[in-house]
Amino acid sequence: MDLSTILLVALAGSVVAPFVVARAGVLGGPLAAVLPAALFAWFFAQIGAVGTAPIVEVVPWVPSLGIDLTFRLDGFSLLFALLITGIGTLVTLYAASYMAEKPAFVRAQFLFYILLFMTAMLATVTADNLVALFVFWEMTSLLSFLLVGFQSEDAKARKAALQSLLVTASGGLALLAGIILIGVEAGTFSIAALVANPAPVLDSPLFPLIVACVLIGAFTKSAQFPFHFWLPNAMKAPTPASAYLHSATMVKLGVYLLARLDPVFAGAPWVGATLVFFGGLTMLIAAVQALRAIELKAVLAYSTVASLGTLVMLIGLDGPVSSVAVVGLILAHALYKATLFFCAGIVIHATHETRLRALGGLAKLLPFTAAATVLASFSMAGLPPFIGFISKEYLFEAKLESSLDTVAVTIGVLVNAVMVAIAGVLALRPFFGRPKKAFHVEHGEQPGMTVGPLLLAVVGVTFGLVPSLVAYALIEPAAIAIHGAPFDVSFKLWHGFTPMLALSGLVVALGAVLAWFWDPIHLAMRRRRAFDEVFLDRGYDLVLGRTLALARWSTNVLQNGDLRVYAAVVSATVTGLLAYGLLAGEGPVLPAIAGEPVRPYLLVVCALIVAGCLVAAAVPSLVSAIVAVGLSGYGLALVFLLNGGPDLALTQFSVETLFVVIVMAVLLKLPIVARSSRTTGERWMDGALAAAFAACILVATLWIAAKPFNPELTEYFAATAVPEGFGRNVVNVILVDFRALDTFGEIAVVAFAALGAWALLRSGGGSRRASKGA
Amino acid sequence: MPSLILTAVVRIFFVIMLVGSLWVLLRGHNEPGGGFIGGLVGAAGFSVLALALGVEAARRALVLHPVVLMGAGLAVAFASGVPGILTDGSFLTHQWGTLAGVKLGTTIVFDLGVYMVVVGGVLSFMFRLYAEDAV
Repeated sequence: MDLSTILLVALAGSVVAPFVVARAGVLGGPLAAVLPAALFAWFFAQIGAVGTAPIVEVVPWVPSLGIDLTFRLDGFSLLFALLITGIGTLVTLYAASYMAEKPAFVRAQFLFYILLFMTAMLATVTADNLVALFVFWEMTSLLSFLLVGFQSEDAKARKAALQSLLVTASGGLALLAGIILIGVEAGTFSIAALVANPAPVLDSPLFPLIVACVLIGAFTKSAQFPFHFWLPNAMKAPTPASAYLHSATMVKLGVYLLARLDPVFAGAPWVGATLVFFGGLTMLIAAVQALRAIELKAVLAYSTVASLGTLVMLIGLDGPVSSVAVVGLILAHALYKATLFFCAGIVIHATHETRLRALGGLAKLLPFTAAATVLASFSMAGLPPFIGFISKEYLFEAKLESSLDTVAVTIGVLVNAVMVAIAGVLALRPFFGRPKKAFHVEHGEQPGMTVGPLLLAVVGVTFGLVPSLVAYALIEPAAIAIHGAPFDVSFKLWHGFTPMLALSGLVVALGAVLAWFWDPIHLAMRRRRAFDEVFLDRGYDLVLGRTLALARWSTNVLQNGDLRVYAAVVSATVTGLLAYGLLAGEGPVLPAIAGEPVRPYLLVVCALIVAGCLVAAAVPSLVSAIVAVGLSGYGLALVFLLNGGPDLALTQFSVETLFVVIVMAVLLKLPIVARSSRTTGERWMDGALAAAFAACILVATLWIAAKPFNPELTEYFAATAVPEGFGRNVVNVILVDFRALDTFGEIAVVAFAALGAWALLRSGGGSRRASKGA
Repeated sequence: MPSLILTAVVRIFFVIMLVGSLWVLLRGHNEPGGGFIGGLVGAAGFSVLALALGVEAARRALVLHPVVLMGAGLAVAFASGVPGILTDGSFLTHQWGTLAGVKLGTTIVFDLGVYMVVVGGVLSFMFRLYAEDAV
């Protein structure tokens, strides 16, 4: 099967699954999990093929713009696809069990979002065309909005969902700008082509702008400073969604994109330094916040931010080892973070207690959960023989080998020591610490919820003990894919007595000390409110608040409910733009129109139009004014007719007629003679505006008439209307055939405008009825 | 405001305007006319009916709710573009065939959609404006 077929299967399966889940009762979860499991099996079967050469498939989409649905499965994409589908399977099982008490509809809805999210993720990591990647990237933003805000009755969840959407979607816009610039400079949107030939982008004067746009996109998605705040807030999502968002999906996308484009950006050393700077800063902030966090899930969320910072820093470092470190950390982090979130969910589900310090003594009540948490924490702490240990060894090796070793190693040691401390606290306190109160455990450990964490924890230790299982099949192809050139990858547990081992030892020792004194450190740091000002989302609130205030202010000024103000604003804007265009252009040229023969009948018609306008402005009676305006309109239609525009004339006649019919309907509800509420000053203003508008139109018309007429389009349409459009009415052929898509858009606009007017009139009718009744 | 003269002749007016609007719609491809103009004339016809005999009479004459007509028009215009996707992969590339010696294309379906949208759009709020109590 092709990649595109697989993605279609994923999409179709995601759409069908909720109907199955809603009807299948207890079996719903396992049945829904068949889809990600089958996808996992397919991707697993591709390991051999991808090891030799990437699988590439091109589906034409918009060939005229160079946008194709090119899917490319190389080692790095395959690693992501396996994580997405593998952890997706466990998340599906877990979620079905987690939500077992919810109505079937809610369960089905949640699994629908999860599976759709999985599909969008798969499409993003297999897309080779940057525009296609962007489309799928935004799909993940939208779906994570739905997942984070799933408990929509909770105001905090709604706020967190909106925040994650605003941050990631505005970053997505920056990314789109960056992608378009890349396409303009390089002439291609294909990542593979860019990596093969990065010179056009690197040498472009726009290169710094491109980097800035792409970095903003990646940083918002992967929660890097200064956009780090949305991820901890997003833990308002139901725990299965958090586990998925944090481990294998969403937040890894920014890292994915940076790693993909690293071979392109590596040509400019300052990009790497920038990544190291922001990654390091994010790591430090996350470490501080992780020590301060009160809730169990918040601690995990900040540790995710720290890991993402580490990944960004590693991508910024030079040397092939950093590629291995990136791949190793992605794999290790996905395995232990999914486990820890699963376990946190079980604990919270069973005890209804979310605060870390309130938990204790749960090992007897939740033995399997305790086992899985301990295993995952050891991997997170980077203790041997877990895969986390191997990835940390590579992390330090990459840092030592790079040109920025001192800074990178110092931050690395500090932050990893905090990770060790947190891992210790997470594993020990809730399960083996002294309980502060007696917990009554509900539901116990259901198999659907424990199978995921146990399996992942065991996989984590197995990969650590036998690294050859993944070294050649996954790690090597993935590392080579992002490094851009083949090199020898040795992913093994024991490296001998190296500086990296010494650093690991130092980290563990520091971490143990921190864990021992966790209580006083945690309490002392919690009291420092100054951190909240800097590290939380105050900046976001400020920007959002100011934007809304600006919107309220401009609405009050521009949309104050007085129709005459609207008309004045619109007319003044049009007049201003016209005047600017005329003055800024070649300047108003008053042409000689003497060449035109004066046609007396046109003069008569013009006199009619002018008379209509004057009467409409002068008479107090609304009915007379309507008739006068109608006169002008018919006069205009006559001008069209006399100048060879029968279609335009016909339309103008019809519109004028309808206008009278419509306005008559309005007038039925108004007094015949309107009392004027305009002061003399306002009337002068109106008159001045009208005169200015008319003057601009006059000059513009004369100007257009003075330009030599370019008959190219006229001749083209006249020549092709009959042979290609089979119609003699050129105007109509253009409308329904040559420019049919434009017409389709226009009738859609007409329909929506009418729908809006229709709805507004209903509410008006309602209030009128109410006032009549009163 | 029921006027005897208006009430007496309005049905004739209405039929003439409706037939005229359809004629304008159909001749549009070769002579001045088309879906947009036809739709305006048709809407005017129904409006005159509403003005003289009341909104209910006009609503009954239209059969469909104006908003439904509008949506159906969009759907018809969209559908006219689908054959183009199937034959040469391009939306709204019109297809032509000969039926009983008359050359016909999907353009007329598209124009019919335009006509329906315009009639439905204008009448949707026209009926509300004329109605004593908006429904």
